[in-house]
Amino acid sequence: MQRFYSLFVGMLVLMSQLVYAQQHSTITGKVTDARDGSALPGVTVQVKGTALGTATQPDGTFQINLPQGATTLIFSFVGFGTQEVNVGTQRNVNVSLSTSDKDLSEVVVVGYGTQVKRDLTGSVAKVGAREIENFPAPSFESALQGRAAGVVIESGSGKVGQGMKVRVRGTSSISAGSQPLYVIDGMPVISESQSDINNDNTNPLADLNPNDIASVEVLKDASAAAIYGARASNGVVLITTKKGRPGEKTRIELNASTSFSRPTKKRGFLDAKEYTDLVLETARMDGITGARYGDFATEQEGIDYFTNLYTQAILDRFSLGTNWQQQEVNTNWEDEVYRDVAHARQLDLSATGGNEKTRFYVSGFYNDQEAVVIVNRFRRYGGRLNLEHSATSRLSLGINLAMNRSQLDRVTNDNIFSTPGQLVAQLPISPTHDPATGELNSTTLYSNGLIDAAYSFNKQVTFRTIGNAFLNYNFTPYLSFRSELGTDIYNITEQGFNGKQTQDGGGVGRAEYFFTQNASLNTNNYFTFTPHLGAQHSLTATLGMSYLQNDFSASTVQGEGFPSDAIKNLAAAGTITSGSSSNQRYTFLSYFLRANYAFNNKYLVSASVRTDGSSRFGPNKRYGWFPAGSLGWVISEEDFLKNNKALSFLKLRASYGLTGNAEIGNNSYLTLLEVTNYPEQPGFRPFQLGNEDLHWERTAQMDVGLEFGFLDNRISGEIDYYNKQTSDLLLQANIPYTTGFASIYRNTGKLENKGVEITINTRNIDTKDFTWTTSLNLAYNKNKVKDIQGQIIESGQQRAVEGEPIGVFFLPKFAGVDPETGDALYLDADGKTTTDYSQAERMVVGKANPDWTGGFNNTVTYKGFDLSAFFTFVEGNNIYNRAGVYQAAGFGGGFDNQTKEILGRWQQAGDVTNVPRLSYWYGNGHRASSRWIYDGSYIRLRTVTLGYTLPQKAASLLRISGARLYVAGYNLWTRTDYISDPEVNTGVTGTRTSSAPENITSGVDFYTIPQARTFTVGLNVKF
Amino acid sequence: MKYLAKYISIAFLFFILLSCNKKLDVEPGTSIVPEQITNEADVEAVILGNYKSLQHFSAFGERYILIPDMLVDAKLSFVGTFIPYSEILRKQQDKTSSIAEGIWNRGYQLINTSNLALSKMDLVSDDNKAAFTAEAKFIRGITYFMLGGLFGKPYSAGNITTNEAVPLVLEPVLNSSDLATGNKPRATVDAVYKQVIEDLQDAAANLPADNGARANKFAAYAFLARVYMAQGNYAEAAAAANMVITEGNFTLATSFDMAFNNAANSPEDVFAIQQNEQSNAGVNNNGLTTFFAASPTGRGDVQVDPTIADLYEDGDIRKTYFYEGESITGAQGSYTRKWEKRYSVIPVVRLAEMYLTRAEANFRNSSAIGDTPLNDINAVRDRSNATAKVTLAEDDFIAERFRELAFEGDRYWTVKRLRLDVGSRPYDDDKLILPIPQRERDVNSQLTQNSGY
Repeated sequence: MQRFYSLFVGMLVLMSQLVYAQQHSTITGKVTDARDGSALPGVTVQVKGTALGTATQPDGTFQINLPQGATTLIFSFVGFGTQEVNVGTQRNVNVSLSTSDKDLSEVVVVGYGTQVKRDLTGSVAKVGAREIENFPAPSFESALQGRAAGVVIESGSGKVGQGMKVRVRGTSSISAGSQPLYVIDGMPVISESQSDINNDNTNPLADLNPNDIASVEVLKDASAAAIYGARASNGVVLITTKKGRPGEKTRIELNASTSFSRPTKKRGFLDAKEYTDLVLETARMDGITGARYGDFATEQEGIDYFTNLYTQAILDRFSLGTNWQQQEVNTNWEDEVYRDVAHARQLDLSATGGNEKTRFYVSGFYNDQEAVVIVNRFRRYGGRLNLEHSATSRLSLGINLAMNRSQLDRVTNDNIFSTPGQLVAQLPISPTHDPATGELNSTTLYSNGLIDAAYSFNKQVTFRTIGNAFLNYNFTPYLSFRSELGTDIYNITEQGFNGKQTQDGGGVGRAEYFFTQNASLNTNNYFTFTPHLGAQHSLTATLGMSYLQNDFSASTVQGEGFPSDAIKNLAAAGTITSGSSSNQRYTFLSYFLRANYAFNNKYLVSASVRTDGSSRFGPNKRYGWFPAGSLGWVISEEDFLKNNKALSFLKLRASYGLTGNAEIGNNSYLTLLEVTNYPEQPGFRPFQLGNEDLHWERTAQMDVGLEFGFLDNRISGEIDYYNKQTSDLLLQANIPYTTGFASIYRNTGKLENKGVEITINTRNIDTKDFTWTTSLNLAYNKNKVKDIQGQIIESGQQRAVEGEPIGVFFLPKFAGVDPETGDALYLDADGKTTTDYSQAERMVVGKANPDWTGGFNNTVTYKGFDLSAFFTFVEGNNIYNRAGVYQAAGFGGGFDNQTKEILGRWQQAGDVTNVPRLSYWYGNGHRASSRWIYDGSYIRLRTVTLGYTLPQKAASLLRISGARLYVAGYNLWTRTDYISDPEVNTGVTGTRTSSAPENITSGVDFYTIPQARTFTVGLNVKF
Repeated sequence: MKYLAKYISIAFLFFILLSCNKKLDVEPGTSIVPEQITNEADVEAVILGNYKSLQHFSAFGERYILIPDMLVDAKLSFVGTFIPYSEILRKQQDKTSSIAEGIWNRGYQLINTSNLALSKMDLVSDDNKAAFTAEAKFIRGITYFMLGGLFGKPYSAGNITTNEAVPLVLEPVLNSSDLATGNKPRATVDAVYKQVIEDLQDAAANLPADNGARANKFAAYAFLARVYMAQGNYAEAAAAANMVITEGNFTLATSFDMAFNNAANSPEDVFAIQQNEQSNAGVNNNGLTTFFAASPTGRGDVQVDPTIADLYEDGDIRKTYFYEGESITGAQGSYTRKWEKRYSVIPVVRLAEMYLTRAEANFRNSSAIGDTPLNDINAVRDRSNATAKVTLAEDDFIAERFRELAFEGDRYWTVKRLRLDVGSRPYDDDKLILPIPQRERDVNSQLTQNSGY
């Protein structure tokens, strides 16, 4: 590539010699507000297809030089619709901008270019900076949740910096990754977790400062996404960062906010009195049951035996000599999981401005966020420079560059005793500190996680540089060339230490150090051709190539045997227990062509084709073709509707195309032998069976959409129906172990997603002082596994089963409690109830993916005040509380403290309840079953914001150009039937490659930390 | 002219863009493809790679030893939270048992790796070909012996030409077109034993007498002794054990405790698995020490029935080879010292076993190959300061084997061979062998399930 670039630069020098003399004509004019005719200052006026531009003066006037051949000016201003004006031979152009066609004239970023919303024939959801700025979550995806129809975002837990699960129009793969492709300013970026695989996934996108984002576009259908070909089946998320604009006075902006968070919900566990009472009741019940089973001669004998046993082994032992009969100790361990108040602070400063020669955006930020759970904290700082310079009227070049550092203080994953979330299992009669020594109590039912919190740490530090340099060259006003060279360098170090006292320290002290570097090199080079074909025709064609190379290297060292806790790095380890390094590479080489044609602004046609080659497939199957086409008809431009008063806009569009998925990790097509490290005897052994015929997973997607606007677009919206058929699934198919291997990747099987998306925006009241707008989006998705060759692909309690949606819960069906005996009942194979768990039939008892998702927002402004309330909702999914077998099993899973629901247990013959008789010794209803499946639907007030913007006069007095003060609340109100926070998913979230168990596993709660309820106070000042 | 230059340069640009196709050829960074096995050293590396699998927790690193003991209630209990283990101890394992699946899976990885090495012997010089072949067959043979014994009815149950054991795969699977090679029905108990004996006889004939920590000739004889014992072929068993005792360069460790928790093979290790800090069967959730050692060294999930001490006379060193401790979840109990230290050598066959085998085989065969049963048994007892026996009955051999080899996975084979009851269950009870993994039957319809699952 270096050789290529030196040649390339040489050529540009050559080309610049070809520039011929310019002939300008000067255009003047005035821009006004369509509502009242008042002058609009600060409107950007740009020559289409060039970087040339200016801004209107305080009286709304402007003057601009139009180069020869250029004919069109673009007028854009925040809050108003963008207008393109073909000046023809005019030398004076007056324009009035309106808020009513804001949405339709909005510029939407698509792959390798932009389009006006009115002309789009694909399905693209756009979320603007306003929705993303100042959202109190580490990563911008959280702010998208509920904003874009058909984009489902799950953050999984209230820990900070964790991976996010994002699905665009459903999960479209089983074994390959289903996360969308993320592209920042044209550069595909690393979005999959690079952290220690033994802990939860982290989210590399959290390294992007959300306040740098100008817009996020989600390419949903094939027509929009196919330009990203082989990587587009899961949707593409295009992130555009803020840029300076020509003619803009330099504006400095300061944002500062502080937040206070607590968990949205606590489960509620038994207090000391309830706990001891129930333990003694368990002894009594076990005694009676024992006599029934013939283990004791009389009930009393059994009761005495178990009472003695449980009293000694549990109540006496774990109360540490305190008087448990009188509840001398009554610890609420759930409170120990969380901080009293989790603080967050955020500060960022940016400057933006520019002239015809140079435009810039520069920013710096600092962000410190504590999770609601103890220990967990995320700190970041960094900066960005986006710079563009017009060297000549033909040549412009620039750079978009962000660098930052983040530090994540982590807790262990949900399935480790030491994680704070599992403190809830400890007994209320156990003190947190040993009364005899004053030290943290080390005689607890399970190792005391507070000891790990005090004497262990896990710190992950990331250095990230994302940037690209670019160059635009206009050969003629209708032919331009753009070249981008970008890189994403992601360095991550993870340092962990477990002191001797801790459970994970194994009595000797353990430490680890991981270093991972993941670097991507990307170049995009493309021509854009926009010929003048007369007033009725408009054509834009793009032809180009792209190359991506990703290099991954990692090293790990682990050691143990520390002299003390004083030194926490591996220098003090007595023994190095493991050390290793590895490296991997993958590449993608792609070519693409796209043409958009419009006739009379009425009939729209778009076609694209992309071919991708990838190192992930064998030499014969490397390339794939991904064509797409779409049609649009702006019906409201037809004569019979053109002057209709009620209907202001109506467009019908349809698209069909193919996209691909290659997210299966590297080298999956090869048979491989791994290196082994038997002591003193290094060797090789086979570990992967290859398949030379492996190729792309293909998704064919059909989309039909209707866009409409009524009453001067006061009511506008769109409705989409889509049908996504994925075939040649990259399926990790099980093969007999007797082959020496567990599985092989094969292109086999089919999966479908069908759905409807509805977006409606209304401007209910629109006056100068008072406005009220509403937006609603709704999405329905139905997923079905159509064919996996009869295989059962299982992950935890969930499965991919033919004919069912992916990720159904497959468990014995709990059928209540026998009122006579208090025994738990299950359904057997014949549908009859049984008390014998081994006879219980496993069946589909729920599904993890919702039917309906959406968001509902209302914004009211009155003079300087703005108030918005944003609800999100999810309907039709189930949650399985996998920890129920321990925390709500009537002691059948151990003497863990129980949730309050257990108070409703069966106590005597005739009791009608769904909570079985308590039993430790014999167990009763404590095994995994649908008993802990809940409806996961919820609606929540996700954001409510009240802001006050200083009047212009007051701002002038303060010598600032504007200021806004706001208070916001997040997750203030939730309605759900789930017992904890319904936005929950333990373990893997955010997996892009590998076997991607998260496609199947979701909606599982296992001591998972609930989401945060947050109050924020913030200030925004513009200078 | 200007335009021409411009368009030529555009065309040129595209030409360059199209020419980086070879960038798509990427070599795997940390593994090799089978075509990279090109010489003798590579073939040897594949054989050595197989020792790593023997060390795995689904082989001798844990389950070949712990699971047989759990199946026959060899005086241990499981106090941990891992349900698959407690299910086995309670004989509640079912066809989805992750332990059965793990053992099956790892076993066939061992077999495929041996088959791969055997298929590459044409790359090996004549000097080493016989020994390398023998070594690959040794690993394949002992693996089939373990799989056959855990998944099939015991040899002692008869019907060996109809009772099914495990599929016999003797050719390597290396690419997707070989899948049929590995997709076989179960072979009979007889066929599996014949293959085991054939492999081990080849190994015994061609392995060197001294091979460092790798398998030597006597390791093969020792396993042959186990196989013959399981068949009730006491004459051959006595002869094979006698080969190990008389021809091998092994001696009983001077004291019982010196036979365990060693950093390198003890003088009585006929065959043992090596471990160190970097290479072991697991320290968190798997491995013998992880389960058998009290917290914090291990999880302490496997506790010893304290009544085991009653099996030893006072003064017997083995009687005190236990300690009190607690599990990771705080359960108090007794622990054996055999697996007390992390990263230690795991004895697979100790010379003491060969003495006990020769003694019992001679006794049952009414022979005295090598030495008398009394002398052999007393050699083992004497080392632990137990009083010498003066007379011997059948039960003495069973009892002494357990006293000496408790928690080393031996009891299972004695129970099966002598048709002993396990609690109320007969030796051939359905639940005293493992199920054929359901997962395996889902992808290979030729496999039958064991009765009771």
